[in-house]
Amino acid sequence: MIYFDNAATAYPKAPPVAAAMTAALREYGGNAGRGGHRLSLVTAEAVYRCRERAAAMFGLSNPARVVFTANCTASLNIALKSLVRHGRVIISDMEHNSMWRPLVAAGGRNPCFSVARVGETSEETVANFRRLITRDTVAIACLSASNVFGNLLPIEALGRLAREYDLVFLVDASQTAGIIPLHMERMHIDLLCMPGHKGLGGPTGTGLLLCGERYTPYPLIQGGSGGESRSPYPPEDLPERLECGTLNTVGICGLSAALDFAAKGDMNARYREEMQMTAKLYDALGRLPTCRLYTPRPAAGEAAPLFSFNLAGKEAEETAALLDREGVAVRAGLHCAPLAHRHFGTLPSGTVRLAPSRYTTAEEWQKVLQIIYKIS
Amino acid sequence: MNKKENVTFAVGSVTNAMRGRDLLSQNGITAHVGRAQPNDVNGCGYTLTVSGDADRAWRLLQTAGIRIRSSQ
Repeated sequence: MIYFDNAATAYPKAPPVAAAMTAALREYGGNAGRGGHRLSLVTAEAVYRCRERAAAMFGLSNPARVVFTANCTASLNIALKSLVRHGRVIISDMEHNSMWRPLVAAGGRNPCFSVARVGETSEETVANFRRLITRDTVAIACLSASNVFGNLLPIEALGRLAREYDLVFLVDASQTAGIIPLHMERMHIDLLCMPGHKGLGGPTGTGLLLCGERYTPYPLIQGGSGGESRSPYPPEDLPERLECGTLNTVGICGLSAALDFAAKGDMNARYREEMQMTAKLYDALGRLPTCRLYTPRPAAGEAAPLFSFNLAGKEAEETAALLDREGVAVRAGLHCAPLAHRHFGTLPSGTVRLAPSRYTTAEEWQKVLQIIYKIS
Repeated sequence: MNKKENVTFAVGSVTNAMRGRDLLSQNGITAHVGRAQPNDVNGCGYTLTVSGDADRAWRLLQTAGIRIRSSQ
């Protein structure tokens, strides 16, 4: 199988992940933060190490403000449902359902969000967000890159805009965490949500919510936190405030190994290499008369390493099924992002998405091209 | 607080205990993480037992935003 669905989950995972998880089953079998015995404390140390690595990677000075979740969707739900208690949120018109649906649910009959159109240029995008700011606005929330089309949003400029108006800035880094450098403090990001299992190369079942010092979310669920147990209320301090219940220790140990691995080497250099390969794929598909592309040629600084296409005369799911029969794994359809498809005019059938990774070889993408040409 | 004897600070969570320990270590103060005895006020939690300048340790922890529930 040739795997081109890394935007859904990375495969293979980073090399040290499996061994780290197996070791965790043997060595970190205690429940972190739930006792004082040696095994509990040793397990808590392993968990804390992961917080430190995540904080270091994303420019957060306090590792205690790294919160573990089940996935990016859970992180976004915590963040968004807390923010709407205070006022309205502005999102982009490219968002994934994990940003859109929680806001729809939270607002009920009284929508608590506005949608800003992503423009042709960064300046246009920022102007569209600025136009929607009112006295009731408390946050700007957006993805760093479209999970369908790969285009980057101007995160640094939007961070400056949010800070100009004293708004909370929430970023969904699902498609860029571990691929394109992100620095919370430099980019004025207050809440950074991400999955552990995509660009970071960690296991499924892991997610992160990194909280800057300006805003501490309310808990979404309540339960045991391992301390201050007499109180009927959750702890005031992070991370335990948002982490009730037993942590996915094995997953966190896998994520920790992935973070350590990702921190080695030059992320910018890896990103440029991935974009070179993505651009070659794009160029080759662009020469196929029956292939429809939707975005400009992917370039470093403008896109994540993924893009969408369709073949004339075929529905997206049909193309994906044909590719699967030839041993190529892609995702087709709406990718849980109908807003993005509405933006690009690809409703109702959606698109076929190609999402290589740092492990995709030249032989693999050339083979995929041959197959797409064959089935077109 | 005494500068020379061990002093134990109760903090709310194991995460903040570990953060406090590392912060103190970076400032030349040795501290160990342990489990707090349950009490009527908070229930349970974790401790930092500090060897050395406890006053300075307390100030460093407070400045870093690590809540100290009690000390003994």
